[in-house]
Amino acid sequence: MRPKHWFYTLPLRLRSLLKRNQVEQDLSEELRYHLEQKTREYSTADLTLEEAHRKALREFGGVELSKENCRDSRRVNFLETLAQDIRFAFRLLPKSPGFAAIAILTLALGIGASTAVFSLVEGILLKPLPYPNPDRIVLPELVSPPGVNLGSEYFPWAQIQFRLLTRESHPFEFVGAFQNDSFNLTGSGEPSFLDGFRASTEFFPAIGVVPALGRAFTAEEDQPGHEYEVILSDRLWRERFSSRGDILGRAVYLNGYAYTVVGVMAPGFEFPRAEEMPSSFNFPSEPQLWVPLAVAAQPKGGPSELAVIGRLKPGVSLEQAQAAMDLVTKRAEERDPQWKGWFNTRLVPLTRQVAGDTQRPFGLMLGAVGIVLLIACSNVANLVLARSLGRNREFTLRAALGASRSRLVRQLLTESLLIAIAAGAFGTLVAHVGIDFVKAYGPSNIPRLREVRLDPLVFAFALCVSLATGILFGLAPAFGATRKDLASSLKEGGRSSAGTPVSQVALALVLVVSAGLLTRTFFRLLGANGGFNPLRVLTFQLPLPASKYVDQNHIVVFYQSALSRLRSIPGVESAGIGETVPMGGEGESTVIRMPDHPVGSQKEMPFANYTIISPGYLSSIGTPVLRGRDFLESDIADSTPVALVNVAMEKKYWPSQGALGKQVGPGSSRYPLMTIVGVVPDVKHISLREETIPEIFVIYTQKQWPSMLNMRVAVRTKVDPASMTESVRAAIHSGDPDLPLAKIATLTTLVNDSLSQPRFAMLLLAAFSLLALLLASIGMYGVISYAVAQRLQEIGIRMALGAERRNVFGMVLGQGARLAGLGIAIGLLVALGVTRLMSSFLYGIESTDPFTFAAVSLLLLATALLACYLPARRATRVDPMVALRHE
Amino acid sequence: MSRPSDLVQGTLDLLLLKILALEPLNGYAVSLRLRQVSGDVLQVSDGSLYPALHKLEQEGWITAEWKPTENNRRAKFYSLTELGRKQLEKESANWSRLSVAISNVVKLKEA
Repeated sequence: MRPKHWFYTLPLRLRSLLKRNQVEQDLSEELRYHLEQKTREYSTADLTLEEAHRKALREFGGVELSKENCRDSRRVNFLETLAQDIRFAFRLLPKSPGFAAIAILTLALGIGASTAVFSLVEGILLKPLPYPNPDRIVLPELVSPPGVNLGSEYFPWAQIQFRLLTRESHPFEFVGAFQNDSFNLTGSGEPSFLDGFRASTEFFPAIGVVPALGRAFTAEEDQPGHEYEVILSDRLWRERFSSRGDILGRAVYLNGYAYTVVGVMAPGFEFPRAEEMPSSFNFPSEPQLWVPLAVAAQPKGGPSELAVIGRLKPGVSLEQAQAAMDLVTKRAEERDPQWKGWFNTRLVPLTRQVAGDTQRPFGLMLGAVGIVLLIACSNVANLVLARSLGRNREFTLRAALGASRSRLVRQLLTESLLIAIAAGAFGTLVAHVGIDFVKAYGPSNIPRLREVRLDPLVFAFALCVSLATGILFGLAPAFGATRKDLASSLKEGGRSSAGTPVSQVALALVLVVSAGLLTRTFFRLLGANGGFNPLRVLTFQLPLPASKYVDQNHIVVFYQSALSRLRSIPGVESAGIGETVPMGGEGESTVIRMPDHPVGSQKEMPFANYTIISPGYLSSIGTPVLRGRDFLESDIADSTPVALVNVAMEKKYWPSQGALGKQVGPGSSRYPLMTIVGVVPDVKHISLREETIPEIFVIYTQKQWPSMLNMRVAVRTKVDPASMTESVRAAIHSGDPDLPLAKIATLTTLVNDSLSQPRFAMLLLAAFSLLALLLASIGMYGVISYAVAQRLQEIGIRMALGAERRNVFGMVLGQGARLAGLGIAIGLLVALGVTRLMSSFLYGIESTDPFTFAAVSLLLLATALLACYLPARRATRVDPMVALRHE
Repeated sequence: MSRPSDLVQGTLDLLLLKILALEPLNGYAVSLRLRQVSGDVLQVSDGSLYPALHKLEQEGWITAEWKPTENNRRAKFYSLTELGRKQLEKESANWSRLSVAISNVVKLKEA
């Protein structure tokens, strides 16, 4: 409104509100003056003073009415009524503490849980990435040729392919390639092992970021021989170099080479994190530094290890970009037939990649929290309804005293809103605790989980939910209760409340069944056979700097002496090295060749995991050799090349004759064939639920390909493996004091970490189903109590006519059991449909697992009967005389 | 709020604003003046006069002040504000337009 208007009216409003008595006095005096004048006017004629006064009053026509109309004109009546309602509610609610407490608690739990989940979803899925125009950033992925199973839908780029792409006319403003690498930082304190990336010049421009200090790489630096520059993460700069301002231009030693620091990234920049990238890349979870990738102008062949990131040119849509990429593919295939089928690309927006797989558990969470909120709200609605029915007499009295219907509705609404606001405040607390819980116990591979916090938007959401609930469930009974025909509203209330426990039991059953299935899955996983024995095994990563370990001879000699030192430690049972350890990440995989399985076309090329190990590795991780023999120290470079294969490989290629004595080798004929001397069980690499694929083990002394600079060590001990860490470290350092031991963990820890996601899903659903069970039993208790109260008279008559206490008890319990039974039946049907959707979360059991369904039904029935126990007991205590006199 | 039925909606505001535009008056004096200027044509009960005055005050069109009367009694005197003067101009213009239109209709010759 206009300010001038407020200039006149605001003081009046404030005066009406704050100096209410003064204003009232003024009003009375004004009217009294009027009446006095009027009386005097009339009394001049032939009337007595008294008669004149009466005439004046008559003519005025109702002083009190006039006053009330004057008050109405003050425009603050609304606030006054509200204050009155709130005062009244505050007096009234503590008089039924049970109602208030249960209503507030129920709503708070529902609101808190949904707010926590909403915060997580908002923070992880909806919040835009912290890069400029993140929707323009895409990851071009190479897609496997149709019909070829590489164990994953996409595979990394080769350097030569990236070069081809940059030379073609591509749809990107900037396009960069990157690959992870590990760096041994020496020269400043204790040697440490850091995860980092080799990135091409346009990597940073494609993301749209520049270093907070210094600059990104130039094109000159991104060339072989010039790549000795490094950009540090903010964390590395702070922790290792104490945030020194003169860091730029200084040299740091990585893998034995001097690198010049040219930049420091802003805090929080850790792109790309493992959880944001396709899992097949096996990226580190927190990169600490970036160095130039330096792809040669004419790269030779070599392993495919690159990921590519691009920023779309302005105005180019994703579809147009995909079309442009398809053109690149076509030209590459035309120029060189070797790319036929191996250069298909797919553009994946970064935003989708980041959310990726983690979306599914959140779908589960949203569904679960939705059910809990539904049960909570229906509980509160029921409570408010039952309560307002109990207050009929009060409403009738107030209506008789002249309260308008809208006035009654407003009062009920105020009460509901008060409850909702209290629940909102309390629910925010619940949400805080919930988020902290998820942060503490949630799986570590959820991107951006650490950044999630309760933000103002989410607080607004909580407030909206609580207010909407208050209004909705305040209004419905309010209209019902103030209906003219109170008797009919009473009947209607009684009818509608029977449906509530049925649906609550049904909803709770769906949730508990889901939780039950996840729990069974978890225990199946715990008992799953991963092909290894995790007890008493210490594992760590041992990256060797390429500057010092220049050829295979150096490496083999070092490993041989290191292994013999490890084995001579008292308490060590066996020790071995391998490219991977179980649950430690994916290994190498490659195209293989087998003389007895000639390849028809390129599409049918056989594929297998290709894992370099040492003698003692298999016994260290507890994998037995099923047939044939393990590698021996006598299998050396000059002796016959030998290999081991897993059961999956044997089953696939030599199901009847067995694999022993057969020949196998890497795809390229440059490498010799190896004779299979042993068969081992399928060892799982990433998770206990994975499908194993064929795997070939080769011995490190005979290795021809690829690099062995970054191996894992497994040490089986006779005592607690964690207690051996220092002696193991000493044994390694007595060979080379500059070597860092990275990712030190027991095998049991690795297994536990791999189970964190299913464990989290199980715990979460278990918590929600507990909540749902609790709320549903509160609902059941409320409805049965109410029914008992309604039937007091009937029960009294029955008992007067000779009904036994246990008959009455059984009758009440029977009513509860009927409702629960109906709810369970409906719930089972719904659960059959719903659990099918979560089959991807399950392992080792069907989504219709009859045991789970039966157990949960019994649990629900027991809970419902327990909830009916108290009201049933109360029913048996009814004194027939009192009950008959009741009403 | 009850109003005399034969008073066109809003005309009471106009009358009160006009009366107060001439000179500041207390409520009783306003009622006298109303009767005086309109004869007995416009019947405004005392009971509805005060709510109407209070409404104008709350709108910011008139302002009130406690002052002694001629016979030395304290009374609430209302006077027009600047906003009220504008409102009066607006409402008088409206009224003129309305009355001209209506009298034109009324004066139409019947066939």
